[in-house]
Amino acid sequence: MGEVIVVTSGKGGVGKTTTTANIGTGLSLQGKSVVLVDADIGLRNLDVVMGLENRIVYDLVDVVEGTCRLRQALIKDKRFNNLYLLPAAQTKDKNAVNPSQMQKLCLDLAEEFEYVIVDCPAGIEQGFRNAIAGANKSVVVTTPEVSAVRDADRIIGLLEANGLKNPQLIINRLRIDMVKRGDMMNIDDMIDILAIDLIGVVPDDELIVVSTNRGEPAIANEASLAGQAYRNVVRRLMGEDVPFMNLESDSGFMSRLAKMFGFKKKK
Amino acid sequence: MSENAVVFKGTKEGLFVVLKEDMDIQSIKDNLEKKVKPSKKFFEGARIVDFRGKSLTRAEYDELKNIMQQEYGMMVVGEYVELSCDTSFEREETRESSSYEKLPYENVSTDEALFVRATVRSGQLIDYAGNIVIIGDVNPGAYIKATGSIVVMGTIRGVAHAGSKGDYSSFVAAYNLQPTQLRIGDIITRSPDGTASRLSVPEMALVRKGAIIVEPYLPNKDSNKL
Repeated sequence: MGEVIVVTSGKGGVGKTTTTANIGTGLSLQGKSVVLVDADIGLRNLDVVMGLENRIVYDLVDVVEGTCRLRQALIKDKRFNNLYLLPAAQTKDKNAVNPSQMQKLCLDLAEEFEYVIVDCPAGIEQGFRNAIAGANKSVVVTTPEVSAVRDADRIIGLLEANGLKNPQLIINRLRIDMVKRGDMMNIDDMIDILAIDLIGVVPDDELIVVSTNRGEPAIANEASLAGQAYRNVVRRLMGEDVPFMNLESDSGFMSRLAKMFGFKKKK
Repeated sequence: MSENAVVFKGTKEGLFVVLKEDMDIQSIKDNLEKKVKPSKKFFEGARIVDFRGKSLTRAEYDELKNIMQQEYGMMVVGEYVELSCDTSFEREETRESSSYEKLPYENVSTDEALFVRATVRSGQLIDYAGNIVIIGDVNPGAYIKATGSIVVMGTIRGVAHAGSKGDYSSFVAAYNLQPTQLRIGDIITRSPDGTASRLSVPEMALVRKGAIIVEPYLPNKDSNKL
């Protein structure tokens, strides 16, 4: 029985889809069998970020409605053998599926895969309820902006109310130089408000834009800072104890984080 | 049902009254009254050239003519002709089909077509039993599905599905053919990964030997030889 992890944020544009794609690819690089589920029906993106758009024949709604078998709708990644995508429908909307159907779908997928990663749509409506229905673990993505943190806080409350205890936090698009200048929220402030476990800080990285447009997740790119950060996130998700997690309450956290990124860059 | 039982149709020569074919004379009279009464002023003095649609007997013709002239103040200028009504329509139809026969081509389709004058955007689905003509672009994420052929007078970047009921003779033609995916009948192809920019010449996709092939549909033009 695999783990079903929902990646969510509340606010749009903070990097849920990018995170889903990178975590999924990273887990498959670690030899795990992974399926990515795009729950953003009507505004699907995950297929584009994974570069698999042109392979879509059947989608999640077809599976739920019984138009096709689950196996037929799964798209095998073009680079990694043990990575699959279940795309969302584009010509339908969130109401085409209900939470109990999603729950069954996630259960079926968890039978076959070690990790099921669900990309949640923005918002707290039907799409959100669908996405979290089958999950047994959750990852909340936020950026260092007051609005994103506010929404993340709301989402954490909803997740906990729906039985998803201990959500894990990824802070995305952090710009260390801005934090140092005091122009951006720092990590401790965010953790102070959200009060959940941090499993990753992903720096702002131009390569993310490039890789998104190319349809090749940045995690496979050794030169990418964000890719490095996602690799650490993946190892933590798998239960490994990777250094900078222990630093989070340290006063010198930022400088050590920066040092670590500098070090990783040389590699 | 009775909405279009009596229709006034303006032409260069004057007004025609088109009568629904399966109506009896009594309901025609009722409908005429319903139609004309409320705007009697408007119809006063109107010149009715002829009746079309239902074939009228001499007696019916006279009766209608009488009503229209006496009660509504219209003028019926035409004379009763045996089966006057249907002939004009038939004439048009025969003219059309004979002109097709004269064309020196095969591949002439007289099937129905849906015309869309718009950009078809992501998430929009156009599904039609017949042919589809898009005057505009089809963006990625849009889905065009026709039981017949698809013609895009612009760039198609979305998914096109021609011959959705299994007609392998249907095709997809576009001014700029760069679809995410192409389907004809139950055959599916996709664009190659790492989309190299192609020449933007008008192309069409069709089924040959059980596979979808794409070729310029104006093969003799110079621009295609580049």
